[in-house]
Amino acid sequence: MNAIIDPRSVQADSAPHTGGLAIRHVDKSFDIDGRKLSVLEDVSLTIAPGQFVSIVGASGCGKSTLLRLIAGLERQNRGDILLDGVPVAGPGLDRGLIFQDHRLFPWLTVEQNVLLALSNSDEAAADKRVRVASLLTLVGLDGFAQAFPHQLSGGMAQRAAIARALAPEPQVLLLDEPLGALDALTRLRLQSELQRIWLTRRSTMIMVTHDVDEALFLGDVIVVMQPGRIARILHVPAPHPRDRADPSLAPLKAEILSLLHAG
Amino acid sequence: MPSILHRRLLPLVVPGLILAAWIGATSGEGAPLQVLVPPSAVIDGFNELLSSGELADHLRASLWRLLTGFAIGASLGLGFGILLARSALVAAYTGPFFQAVRQVPSIAFLPMLILLLGVDEGFKLAIVAKAAFFPVALATHDGVKGISKGWLEVAAIYRLSPVRVLLRLILPATVPPVLTGLRLGLTRAWIVLVAAELMAAENGIGQMMEMGRQMFRIDTVMVGVALTGLIGFALDQGFRLAERRLVRWKTA
Repeated sequence: MNAIIDPRSVQADSAPHTGGLAIRHVDKSFDIDGRKLSVLEDVSLTIAPGQFVSIVGASGCGKSTLLRLIAGLERQNRGDILLDGVPVAGPGLDRGLIFQDHRLFPWLTVEQNVLLALSNSDEAAADKRVRVASLLTLVGLDGFAQAFPHQLSGGMAQRAAIARALAPEPQVLLLDEPLGALDALTRLRLQSELQRIWLTRRSTMIMVTHDVDEALFLGDVIVVMQPGRIARILHVPAPHPRDRADPSLAPLKAEILSLLHAG
Repeated sequence: MPSILHRRLLPLVVPGLILAAWIGATSGEGAPLQVLVPPSAVIDGFNELLSSGELADHLRASLWRLLTGFAIGASLGLGFGILLARSALVAAYTGPFFQAVRQVPSIAFLPMLILLLGVDEGFKLAIVAKAAFFPVALATHDGVKGISKGWLEVAAIYRLSPVRVLLRLILPATVPPVLTGLRLGLTRAWIVLVAAELMAAENGIGQMMEMGRQMFRIDTVMVGVALTGLIGFALDQGFRLAERRLVRWKTA
């Protein structure tokens, strides 16, 4: 299957030039107790710079694996993944990854956790701290720089993880069910925050989720996955910042749900 | 809610009561002075042992054995714990054996070690090292196993250098449990050492008590008991203090 996402769906005025991804005929399988378990089969997908792509699918359809392949944490068995034309060969600071669990280091303060993501930057320490402070402001964590992760609520810890992921200014931000572990109210609030951050940053964002409303609220493009493959790619015409009650979303939601049930 | 002064004094209530009962039991007519001497006699005995330099010699001998044996046992435990956690091969070969030997009380090894190594320093160092080895190995194993794959992925994503991974991830994740293991190992080693010295030694705090018993110097025996307890308490508290300082992020 070869699916091309129309780059025209990105607003031309502020469209960035980097952060484009090409996924070509990717296969991925795992060895489980000597048996080969195929997770992705011949998956192809093109993502334009600056797009927000939501990937939805049932558990075990391979959507997280696809994200981990782009992040460079796993290696595909076949096919290519190109970031701005360069093959992905392992993790890199051009791609950030946010997990479902915040994965902050519990022995470091929020500020130290974010600073860790800037370890490879040549900036002066004082400049780094200024940058971390502005990132914490961006994610709404003013005044929590010196807090330890266990002192934060789940939503606040995930905000800190978002700040950490944004710190190296990745061209592509990968989000692996980033709000999946949060309560419904915090989820809605952080969805709006993610949209605001995306509109501010305009970097490419690819979010895996099994919440169809979340996918529709944030994504320019929805990739619907069925086990091992991409079932359909849908474009969301509604403008950003998006209204959850936008009438164009309802038919898309119905279509996605029917695809998920069919898979 | 007790005040700070109250809380400081509360731990002294029980020892105070015991002391009062002790004074009461030894001050009346017909007190069994041959089995229980009054506290004043114990203090006199302590001063005597202190001024003669005898006590210092015993303490020096015991603490040297403790630290040497502990250093050997703890280092081996640290190394083995890392191997056990990191190598499936080592775990497969030695895991069950390690768990089985761990169940044998250190003191149960004393007769065998005396037969094997004689009654000189060797067996005492060996038993102290053995007592320290197991808690340290176990805690190190758990600490290394406790480094989550998720954190290692975070380190990979942000391209942390090996040195940074060590300083920011491996050490902070493993030092607190290892410290707990060291504390348990040290206090257990101390208990076992005193027991070993009771059985066979030329000097040391245990030997001092055993000699006191043979010569019906109950005051010397009681000085030994009190010092054994105080030293064990000090070692334990010292390590707890270090642990609290290092894991402030857990309680802060």
